[in-house]
Order: sequence, then structure tokens, then C-alpha cells
Amino acid sequence: MDMDEVLKVFIAESQELLQQMEEALLMLEHAPGDSDTINAIFRAAHTIKGSAGLFGLDAIVAFTHIAESVLDRVRSGELRFDAELTALFLQVRDHLGELVRLVDEGIDLSSLPAEVQPLHTQLGDCLSRYLPSTDSQSQLRATERIERGHEHGLSADHWHISLRFGPDTLRNGMDPLGLFRYLNTFGRIVSLVPVLDRMPAAAEMDPETCYLGFEVAFYSDADKATIDGAFEFVREDSLIRILPPHSKSDQYLELIRALPEEDMRLGEILMRCGTLTATELQEVLHTQVQSQQRAETRPIGQVLMEESLVQPPVIAAALQKQQQIKDNRNNENNLIRVDASKLDRLIDLVGELIIAGAGAQMTAQRCGHSEMQEATEVLSRLVEEVRDSALPLRMVQIGATFNRFQRVVRDVSREISKDIALSISGGETELDKTVVERITDPLTHLVRNAMDHGIEPADKRMANAKPAQGRVWLNAFHDAGSIVIEVGDDGGGLDPQRILAKARERGMLNEGQQLAEKDVFNLIFEPGFSTAEQVSNLSGRGVGMDVVKRNITALRGTIDLDSKLGQGTTVRIRLPLTLAIIDGFLVNVGQASYVIPLELVEECIELNSDEPFERGHLELRGQMLPVVRLRELFEDDSPRPRRESVVVVHQAGLRAGLVVDQLLGEFQTVIKPLSKVFSACPGLGGFTILGDGTVALILDIPSLLGQLTRVSEAPQRARIEA
Amino acid sequence: MGKTVLIVDDSASIRQVVSITLKGAGYDVIEGCDGKDALGKLDGRKVHLIISDVNMPNMDGITFLKNVKQLPAYKFTPVIMLTTEAGEAKKDEGRAAGAKAWVVKPFQPAQMLNAVSKLILP
Amino acid sequence: MSSDGLYRILPLEGGLNIYSASENMGLLLHALAPETELELDLSALDEIDCAGLQLLIMAKHEAQRIGCDLRLTNHSPAVIEAFELSGLASFFGDPILIKPTSE
Repeated sequence: MDMDEVLKVFIAESQELLQQMEEALLMLEHAPGDSDTINAIFRAAHTIKGSAGLFGLDAIVAFTHIAESVLDRVRSGELRFDAELTALFLQVRDHLGELVRLVDEGIDLSSLPAEVQPLHTQLGDCLSRYLPSTDSQSQLRATERIERGHEHGLSADHWHISLRFGPDTLRNGMDPLGLFRYLNTFGRIVSLVPVLDRMPAAAEMDPETCYLGFEVAFYSDADKATIDGAFEFVREDSLIRILPPHSKSDQYLELIRALPEEDMRLGEILMRCGTLTATELQEVLHTQVQSQQRAETRPIGQVLMEESLVQPPVIAAALQKQQQIKDNRNNENNLIRVDASKLDRLIDLVGELIIAGAGAQMTAQRCGHSEMQEATEVLSRLVEEVRDSALPLRMVQIGATFNRFQRVVRDVSREISKDIALSISGGETELDKTVVERITDPLTHLVRNAMDHGIEPADKRMANAKPAQGRVWLNAFHDAGSIVIEVGDDGGGLDPQRILAKARERGMLNEGQQLAEKDVFNLIFEPGFSTAEQVSNLSGRGVGMDVVKRNITALRGTIDLDSKLGQGTTVRIRLPLTLAIIDGFLVNVGQASYVIPLELVEECIELNSDEPFERGHLELRGQMLPVVRLRELFEDDSPRPRRESVVVVHQAGLRAGLVVDQLLGEFQTVIKPLSKVFSACPGLGGFTILGDGTVALILDIPSLLGQLTRVSEAPQRARIEA
Repeated sequence: MGKTVLIVDDSASIRQVVSITLKGAGYDVIEGCDGKDALGKLDGRKVHLIISDVNMPNMDGITFLKNVKQLPAYKFTPVIMLTTEAGEAKKDEGRAAGAKAWVVKPFQPAQMLNAVSKLILP
Repeated sequence: MSSDGLYRILPLEGGLNIYSASENMGLLLHALAPETELELDLSALDEIDCAGLQLLIMAKHEAQRIGCDLRLTNHSPAVIEAFELSGLASFFGDPILIKPTSE
């Protein structure tokens, strides 16, 4: 990349920053004093100043510096963004935009063109009026510094301090933390990266020896002697290097060489501190290669082999890795915020693309044109790739949702006077945004349940030799195309005998019916399972658990529970990664096609028309199964075929049969939401478009099951299977 | 929680100036007029920093320092030694005894406050 | 996450500093065991210095080495300040619950 290209990057970046600045300024009119917005404006000015310095654009540097100083006073609360100042800054922004445009046109700014000069001076004067007179002196100093440094100096406007403390530092009563506190009395530690390379293995560690090092980015107007003085008591046996703002790249190179760690790793750390940008690090390391080349007049090939050829891939990899870390830190700059509805629209279109692709493939097959078939195959493979890369766009990490429970746990534990700690793991696990939004309620219920009913009172815990503090945890991980979320506690666990007794009492089980332990636990998710003695003011186990299960199944997820009496309970929720695409089972009634989510299909039976079912029930292996003809349900007048099939669907312990004309098989379905017109029509969950362009309705099995089992009386209700 | 500083010097005026300066900045200050007196004043109290002159009657600063470093409660307490420009030889002796911080007399109150701040803030 | 392994909480109290470093080093090494979960409760630490921080770093490294699930919890204000000053919060990575100042 040559300087011209980098300049283009600077121009694009500046335009973007100025755009952000304008938006932020306009936003201030609605939310004056919003510190995030003010910071955004400051950052924009700050970044422009920093990078303009790299290109020797003094006019921009000096002008932005005054603007930045005013903004700094706003940030510290000395000034307020009133209408007048906002208007001034809009002008400042426009003027900066003009300067950047001139740079873009290749005009030398060392003497400003006559048409911008008056405004330049005028705006500078207006800005200076917002600065105290003493400040204009320091501003002069700062400008001097910039002018001193800008020839070859790098962008960092903070001091960079490298510290490797001597082994006796702690024994001598010097605590590096005390030094940092002291530095903060006359400046601000912008960022600080601990260097732990010298930490030995536990077996070799002397707890009184100091192994720590730090790389510190320190912003201060103090002079070198003052900063140097901070370290006067540790200097004797520590390694201390201090670089002033805008040092030159060979000074950084010298620094990197003086420090004990490996060069590349130090470079990374300097980038993490914000002292060097990626470009600058490259520049610094480039200097290194150059000076090495000058020092030895070996054949260039050998030099490249030994020095630089080995380095660049390492640099590239390290830079990339560092970029990721930086991305996380400055994500407001590197992440693009997109309206969720735009993403939904994209996913919709991808869905249609899949359908259209399938249609094209079908047509190609029908034509028997082999080249055409090959072409459509390539197309559908690409479409699949597009789908696979589009779906993750809607994925978000669950960590933010998890973290909200820290507060819940803290508040609830105080409310119920139990000492309970929450631990969180797997927060980086990603899942569909829609799922995340809808998982919070069930999770809240489960967490509160665990605290309320799971964790025993402290005295009981102590009696059972458990730590007095109860523990609840949230965990998430990916497993075979789904995401698993666990809510666990180290409480008393569930008593299977008591659950069985309750279930029998409530007629949920037949006498003598045997259940595996796991199925016993899962009874608490059944509707109507509630035991009065367990209900408290906070949450009633049983009252809520069936609701939790319903919420989870509505997300096409499953829930189950593990428990060990006396040791605790873990509830495991398994959810699909996305809600947009499902495996469907396609059936046909008259002219219409319907899709049933495949995972809810239990079996398919042929129905003999000479074996009519009475009053909506069918006897299946000795049990009464509520049955409905889709034809009747959706008022389809077409004649019934001689042969019909029953699709047995099940969910949450409920079963029912759906009578259809024809079974068409499995098929990947892109779910599209129905418009509001259909909201009055229960039993439909959406629609999809088939390869030949016809529409198929997706059945909402949970709501159909609810309808069917409500209509039928208790004796006909589907039983829990043994 | 205020940080406690012990100032050991046989000159009452120096003790007082230091004491007033540090108290004004928010530190608690104990005074000792020589090494022996200071050892008695310590008496197991929590002290975050010791400032000690070198030349003192009864027990000089270096001996005091060596004694203090023997006591588990003060083994790692930072010490600022007060020295004169001419005291380089003593400085080596002090260094051997574990003194790392030196402030040259005469000093301005602000200089002392600054030196103390580098080690602990009030 | 296994709930089968041994789970223990080690509360650290008072000062985790150069004075108590040797003693606490022994305590930590004793508490770290493979296939267990160890939680260091930092709520009662009213003082921590770089010696203390080094011990926590050592514990984290050692836990990783032997396969012990180490967690730092209930960071006291002193611990939070030290983590922030030293830039180590992200190294430990445990969620830090900021308590209202009224407490």
C-alpha cells in the first residue's frame, strides 16, 4: 500500500467520521448533554486530528486541535452544548469536510486556498473563545508538540510507559498499583496492558518476588521530568521506558528492542494500548528490516529469507489477531448497526431464493437438459452457502441476556434472605435474535424457581455439609445444530416419590403405571402439576413450569430436567439455532398443501374409509386418540378421496391425529409469517412457498393440540405414555 | 481508611513541617525523634510508610531501618530516607539495609508530599 | 458443566498483599485440585496489592494447568479498584458485580 492509497483511506475515514459527527450533533438537539453522543463527537475530532498528523496536514491538525480542546471541556462538564455551540460545531464539521475535500482534490494545504482561509480563521477564533486563556497556552504547547512531531512522528497523543518491575519491588514496599494511582493524580491512564510473561509456574514462584510488567498509555500535559519522577523510587532495579507523545517510529523500534519480550508480541501490546496503529506498527517493523538491511550487505535473498520473509506472515497474522481485539474494543466503529427488519427482509429473500432455486432445479430436471441441470446444481449450492452465511447475521451472543440475571439473583436472594451466587458460562454462545428475545421470560422463571425452591435455607445446607452460599448457574453451548441452555442449582433436588404421589393424586397417572426417573421429573412440566406446599409468593413451581414448557415448545425447543436428591437440579433447554427454517412434513388435502413440523410427527397411519371414527376419536392401540379432518377444520368442500391417512402429532404429552388426503414427505421449509388477516385463524403458524410456486400453509401444532384436547373431555385426553 | 506515615527525625521543625504537610493532605502521621523512640512508637500499629532521617542520636536511621525490617509487621513497609547531597556513602549503606527511596535535604514541603504520593495516596 | 465434581468455596479475607503472600500462596495451592470447582470469594478482601494480584494470576494459571474450574466471585470494592488499575479484569474474565455504593 503506498501513501496515496493510505491517503484515500484517510479521506474515506474522515468523511465517515464527519458524518458521524453531524449525526451526533443533530442528536444533541434532542438529547443535550448525552455523554455517549458528546464522546462520539470528541472521538471523531480526535481521530481526524491524529490521522491528519500522519499526513502532515497541519492545517487540519491545528484546527481540529482547537475543536478537540473545546470538546474536552464539554466532556469534563465545564462547557455545555447549547444551541450556539452546536451551530458552531456544525460549521466546524462542514469546514473540516471542505478541507478533507481539498485534500482529496490533491490541493496542498500548507497554504490554505484564499476562498477557505477567512472562514478557517474565523471559526478558529470562535472556537478559541470557548477556551480559557491559560488553555490557549497549553494549546500552543500542544501545537508545538504536534509540529515538532508531525514530520515523522506517529499518531499517539499520549505518553507510552513500559514498566518491568524488579524482583524486589514488592519486598521494598513499592506497589505498582500505588504508582498508577499516583500517575492518575496528574494525568489519565488511557489504557494499560499487564505483561505476565515472566510469571513462573506455581512450583517456581516466590510469592514475594515481583514478576509483573505493564505497558501503559498515559495521557498528561505534564513534562517528561514529572512523569519520569513518578518512577524515581523503583528505577534502580526496574526497567522503565518512557516515550513522549508522537514519538518517531525508530524510537518505538528502540523501545521494542529494549524490552525483554519478543518483538512481535510487544508490537501487539503497543497496539492494544492504542499507542501504535496497525499501520504504524508495520512502519516500525519495516524500519527494523531496513536498518538490518543497511547494516549488513548480504545478498538480498538471504536477508529476505532470514529476516523479512519470515516476518511478514507473522506480522499479518498478528495484526489480524490484534485487529480482532481492537474490533471488540472499538466495536462502535467497526461494527455496523443494521435495522433488524432489514435483516429479516434479507432472510426472507434468502428463503424465496431457496424456493426459486428449488423450482429452477425441478424444471431443469423435467427438461432433461444436462447442462441446464449442472448449472442449477451450482446455483443451488451457492444458494445454500448464501443461506448459511445469511442466517448467522441474525445471531447474537446470549451473554448479555445471561448477565441480566446477576441483578435478578442479587435482588431475589435478598428478598428471600438466602445467600445465593450466580455463575455464568458459555455467554459467547450465539443464537437467533428472535430466540434470545423470547427466552428471557422462561429463563427468569427457571432462575427464580431454582432460587426459591431449589436452594435450601443456609442452616439446612450446612447440616448437609454444603457451603452456606447456594449456587445457581447459567450455561450455554452448541450441540448438534441446536443450542443448549442450562439452568442449574446446587440445592436440594427433586424428590421423585413426592412428584409421583402428586401426579397420581391429580389423575395424571394411571394406578400402577411405572415411569423412569427422568420421566417422573418431567411431570412437573405438565399442565396442572402444582403442589400447594411448593407455591410461594415469588413463583409457584408447577403453576409456572407448564407455561415455561409451552414457551419453549413455541420456539420449537424441548426442555428436560435432571435432579439428584440433595445435590441439585439442572434444567436443560434445547433450542433450534434459527426459527426461520424448519424440517417440514408435507401433506395434501384437496388442492391445498400443508406443512407439519417434522419433529412433531409421531407416526402416520392409513385410514380405511369403511372404519369411520365417531365423535372425533379414533382407537389407536387401545387408546382413544382425538382426531380431526383438516378438510373439515379448514372448511374445504372438495370431495373426500377413498383413502385417507392419519398423521399422529404429539407435543408436551398431548397427542392427536390429523386426517389428510396424501402424504408428500419431508421437505425443508422456509417459514414466512402470515399477515394479520389470518391471525383470527388459529391453527396456522405461517406459510411457505413450494418449489413449483404454490403456497403451503404451516400448521401450528401446539395450538391445534390445545384446541382438540380442550374440545374433548377428560377421559379422552391423551395420556402420558409409560 | 486513612494511611499512616511515621516520620522519624531529630529535628522537631522538620517533623512538624512534614507532619502538617501530610496531615493537610489527608494522611495520619506519627512522629518519632530518633530510631529508638520510633521503634517504641510503632508498637505493632499499622503503618503504611516510614520517613526517616539518617543522622540521629540514640539510634541512627540505618540501624533503625535494619531493626524495622526484622519485624514481620513492617518487613515490607516502604521507607523514604532523608539524606544530604554529601551522604553518598551512607546511601549505599542504606540501600543494603533495604532503603530504596531517598529524598535530599533540604526539601520543600510539596516535594515531600510528592514523594510520599508516589508510594501511597492518603 | 459438571455438577458431579467437588465444588468448594474459599473465602479470602482481610489483606491479600505482600505481608500475607506466603501464607495465602500455600492456602491457594492447597485448595486447587484437579477435576474440582473452586470459587474464590473475594467479598471480604479489603486490601489487595500487586503481590495479591500475582497470587490470583498464579492460581488461575495453575488451575488451568491441572484442570480445576477456578472462579473469582463477589469482588470487593478494593479488588475491583485493583483489577481496574492493573488492567487485569479481562485476564480473569469473571463477571464483576458492581454493588450499589450504599452498601
